Amino acid sequence: MATVALAGNPNCGKTSLFNALTGAHQHVGNWPGVTVERRSGTFRQDGLAVEVVDLPGTYSLAARSEDERVATDFLASQEADVIVNVLDASNLERNLYLTTQLLELRKPVVFALNMMDDAVRDGWTLDVPTLSALLGGPVVVTVGNRGEGIEALKAAILAQVRGDDPSLDPAQWPPRVTYGDDVEGEIRRLAEEVRRDEVLTAHLPGRWWALRLLEGAPDALEEAGRSHAAQAIQAQLARSRAFLEAHLGAGVDTLLAERRYGFAHGLVREVGRREGHPARHLTDRLDAVLTGRFLGFPIFLIVMVAIYTLTFVVGKYPQDWVSAGMGWLHDTAAAHLPPGELTSLFVDGVIPGVGSVLVFLPSIMILMGCVSFLEDTGYMARAAFIMDRLMHLMGLHGKSFIPLIMGMGCNTPAIQATRTLEARSDRLITILVTPFMSCSARLPVYILLAGAFFRPLQGALAVVGMHLLGFAVAIVAGKVLRLTLFRRENAPFVMELPPYRLPVLKTTLLHMWEKATVFLRKAGTLIFAGATLIWFLSNYPGLADRDLAARHRAAEAAVRAQGLPEAEEKAKLEDLDLAHKGTIMNSSLAARFGKVLEPAFRPLFDPDHRRAEAWKDGVALTAGFLAKEIVVGTMAVVHQARAEGEDGAALSPLQQSLRDRSGLTPLTALAFMVFVLIYTPCLGTVGMIYKETRSLGWTLFSVGYGLGLGWVLAWITVAGGRLLGFA
Amino acid sequence: MAMKRLSELGAGEGGRIVRVEADAAVQRRLLDMGLVRGEAVQVNRLAPLGDPMELVVKGYHLSLRRGESACIHIETEA
Repeated sequence: MATVALAGNPNCGKTSLFNALTGAHQHVGNWPGVTVERRSGTFRQDGLAVEVVDLPGTYSLAARSEDERVATDFLASQEADVIVNVLDASNLERNLYLTTQLLELRKPVVFALNMMDDAVRDGWTLDVPTLSALLGGPVVVTVGNRGEGIEALKAAILAQVRGDDPSLDPAQWPPRVTYGDDVEGEIRRLAEEVRRDEVLTAHLPGRWWALRLLEGAPDALEEAGRSHAAQAIQAQLARSRAFLEAHLGAGVDTLLAERRYGFAHGLVREVGRREGHPARHLTDRLDAVLTGRFLGFPIFLIVMVAIYTLTFVVGKYPQDWVSAGMGWLHDTAAAHLPPGELTSLFVDGVIPGVGSVLVFLPSIMILMGCVSFLEDTGYMARAAFIMDRLMHLMGLHGKSFIPLIMGMGCNTPAIQATRTLEARSDRLITILVTPFMSCSARLPVYILLAGAFFRPLQGALAVVGMHLLGFAVAIVAGKVLRLTLFRRENAPFVMELPPYRLPVLKTTLLHMWEKATVFLRKAGTLIFAGATLIWFLSNYPGLADRDLAARHRAAEAAVRAQGLPEAEEKAKLEDLDLAHKGTIMNSSLAARFGKVLEPAFRPLFDPDHRRAEAWKDGVALTAGFLAKEIVVGTMAVVHQARAEGEDGAALSPLQQSLRDRSGLTPLTALAFMVFVLIYTPCLGTVGMIYKETRSLGWTLFSVGYGLGLGWVLAWITVAGGRLLGFA
Repeated sequence: MAMKRLSELGAGEGGRIVRVEADAAVQRRLLDMGLVRGEAVQVNRLAPLGDPMELVVKGYHLSLRRGESACIHIETEA
């Protein structure tokens, strides 16, 4: 099967062309070793199957960012038989810059002159036959989002795959940029040295190597350094550089870029004509409002509120259906399966485990649909443009606002939204600070504790304070990470502001579908495994204790035998069940773990060492790793008091119990809230961090520094509060 | 003719690039985006908070932070 690589600038309509070429026959994976998505698909024509690989959009092959390196490596590899260079016809000159580098690979190329409709609207007339002759390859006019020119493009690709159009063979007549006598002389000398190593030039021209070495591409330098001819190559490289810089008065990379742009400029002058200057472009008029001084931020806020509402308020409905479905499954299974360990594994381990994965799906799909929509319209770049100043103060990028704002709803989809950040350092820092944004799952914990220990107004202040504290920690952590771990990774903010375009619904839907399946495959498995592990820890060995189970059944039978009214009997049975679960939980591995942890938590939640039940905090917090709202449910079980209040009562039984018996004080309760805010991200978020960073190291780092920071901040709360005279 | 840094220009002002001086990664990126010697650039507008700026170069729109636009030396008519 022949493989075709789609290469082109960002925003050139590559993805819609890819979708039009491959239809539904797509597969999303990952490039080995990096966080860049690999999308590939197939089409079949004239009995021949062709694999199409959609490369990340790139402006050049000079290989600095992860995206560019992936694209360059693949194009240079033997895997890519034919290159389809997608060109944005309305922005031809900048697009042809990449073309100059592609041509140096001397592989069969087909040029897709895409977005021709936009170019015509801007007043451009392009002479396609001349362009084809000057580029030395077939040029096909396409409008990717309307599927125009796709058949012609397929035919041109097949002709190249078969090699049955010798007049267009780039090896026969390679059109190329000439860099002037001085540079060409050095290229020849350097290429000669490179050719000493047959391995280097087995599949790639010596000239390609010489050019990449001259412009200082790190991967080329590295590979040449491993060659047996490394010394000769490096000596020649140093001579060439010194000679050129002395003679031409600029760095070699500057010279090469100038020549390439010169070539692109000349080409456009040769084949293109622009009729007059169209009246002010629609994009310009929209930008005057959308990035304007007065309406820029209000409109931005409205857009963010709309996305937040769609994701977390509207998304709550499908999420509730998922929960209801899992609840039904749980109840049905519990009612029909005989009581026992296996049933418990299935009913209390597997079903909630699957549920804890599925529950993220609606918000992930909606948020990713919105993000894809913002990207495709071009508004994402504008929003980043107006937000960059603020985000930059935090050591982040203009586009980091999406994860931060959406993190207030749920961290898990928010972290998936870091995909829009191109530079690795920007993405990693954003991933590491997003979990500090106080998500809605932490709210029940605040409400439980604030309700139990504070007066209403104080309680409201404490809840608002937690959100502000989370934001402040994110700011400081972002800045500190930028200045320490990521100090040497310089990610310049050089961002194109593409023209506004209407997105294609199909692209958005495909994107949502893709994100959902990738989440289920990559993060879902980890979340499910973690949920099952936590079930095991909090149920064993008590669950396997037959005497305990027998006593519970006997007590249940005794209640039923009393013949109480239905409501009363149900309440009694529920109390018994809670007590039974409490007994299991309080003797479980998690409880033992909580007791081991107790000394570590003592300075935070039990500074005077007076609380007999302090170990229960550790149990609740351990279980809360699954999802932070579970802290409440677990506290209900370990304290054997219900979390739901009676009608009319000011405090729920759990709140009453916490207040009267747990030994927590308002100050230690506040420290508890701070700890819940900051400590390790929940399991769903950790799964997503692993999926997005593809690195166990960064995932563990995120868990570890969250724990450490949470401990320190909770300690400061307690110690500071006591200094100020609070208890 | 006056020599300035691109970062010193306000909205609506423009000039011709004389040289680009930045560390290797930034330089590479700026060159790749078409900010080469002799090229005409115009500042289209500034972000509401004054940074970054939006440029028009080679007929397309590009945004740069002050830190990066200060690396670009230009000559202006005025």
